[in-house]
Amino acid sequence: MQKSDADKQEREVLELLQDYPAPAPDRGFYERALVRATHEGSKRQRNRWMMTGFGAAIAATIAAWVIGGMLLNEPQLPEAASTIPGVTIALAEPRTVNLVFASAKALDSATLTVTLPDGIELDGFPGQREITWETSLSEGRNLLPLTLVAVTPTGGELLARLEHEDRDRTFRLQVEVG
Amino acid sequence: MSSAQHSATFERLVQPHLDRLYRLAWRLTGSKAEAEDLFQELLIKAYQKLDDLVEIDEPGSWLSRVMYNLFIDEQRRFARRRMHLVEEGQLAGDGLQGFAGDERDNPATGNERLERLRRLDAALGQLSDEHRIVVLLHDTEGYKLVEIEELTGVPVGTVKSRLHRARTRLREILVADGTIS
Repeated sequence: MQKSDADKQEREVLELLQDYPAPAPDRGFYERALVRATHEGSKRQRNRWMMTGFGAAIAATIAAWVIGGMLLNEPQLPEAASTIPGVTIALAEPRTVNLVFASAKALDSATLTVTLPDGIELDGFPGQREITWETSLSEGRNLLPLTLVAVTPTGGELLARLEHEDRDRTFRLQVEVG
Repeated sequence: MSSAQHSATFERLVQPHLDRLYRLAWRLTGSKAEAEDLFQELLIKAYQKLDDLVEIDEPGSWLSRVMYNLFIDEQRRFARRRMHLVEEGQLAGDGLQGFAGDERDNPATGNERLERLRRLDAALGQLSDEHRIVVLLHDTEGYKLVEIEELTGVPVGTVKSRLHRARTRLREILVADGTIS
């Protein structure tokens, strides 16, 4: 290819890049983000001081929620436990709950969806009720730590749905705020 | 300082930079949902650091660096878990659709242009994050090389090299699919 062709192509690429749009935010997004920043920023600062004052370890692990026997590659899958496991967390205090997924073999492209009850947030995802990841599971136990924050005293049921190909399992965790 | 004064000071400091920061978030993440989350997290962090922010000569640059570091931290966090966020609201669905609306006067030209941009979007998706970010910041957003160095902490020489490779790769992809000739 001649240099003049390459130069022309590079110019075309540059023109396309200069034309490449970025959408404007939704109407009112900035205002809502600023309000949330002042509210959430103040809250996190208060939490940090409180935690420091008591000398408590930040993000202490309080509960291990073990989901065992989730063998996605076997047809006779055990049903999710009829008794819903539960955990109690304090208002506005980040707590880490460990989810352990046991898989009989390594799985690629599994999708995990965590659905949170009203008033419970995942630390780092303020305001989001549903968070979805695409994930790979190793053979054996796979640990997923979720740091939960109660922003209201209501609590509720947290759902973790794992999907792989045409199979899925939903597990439940009752979150109480005390 | 009262809470209301804190809020007013915070808004006064960040308001002039919101558009640029939102665009940066979009360029880093390539998805509306993630851009909004990153933007929101930056503002929360900035509010927590308000005492530092008022002392800074160029809050825009500082805010951009904090956003970039948040983005990198988030990537590492998910990499450690062998997970990544599922993409939502890809540009083809969010950004280019709105852009198409600007071309109503000449639908034929608009569709052709939109199709070329969709192909560019797909080509950008084939680049590594570090190449995609450099080429978008430099060639699309108009950042200078030294500004990218300040933002990312990557030396100018490396930025130039990434920019060159990114452009070359884009040219190869777009020639191969017939977008440019």
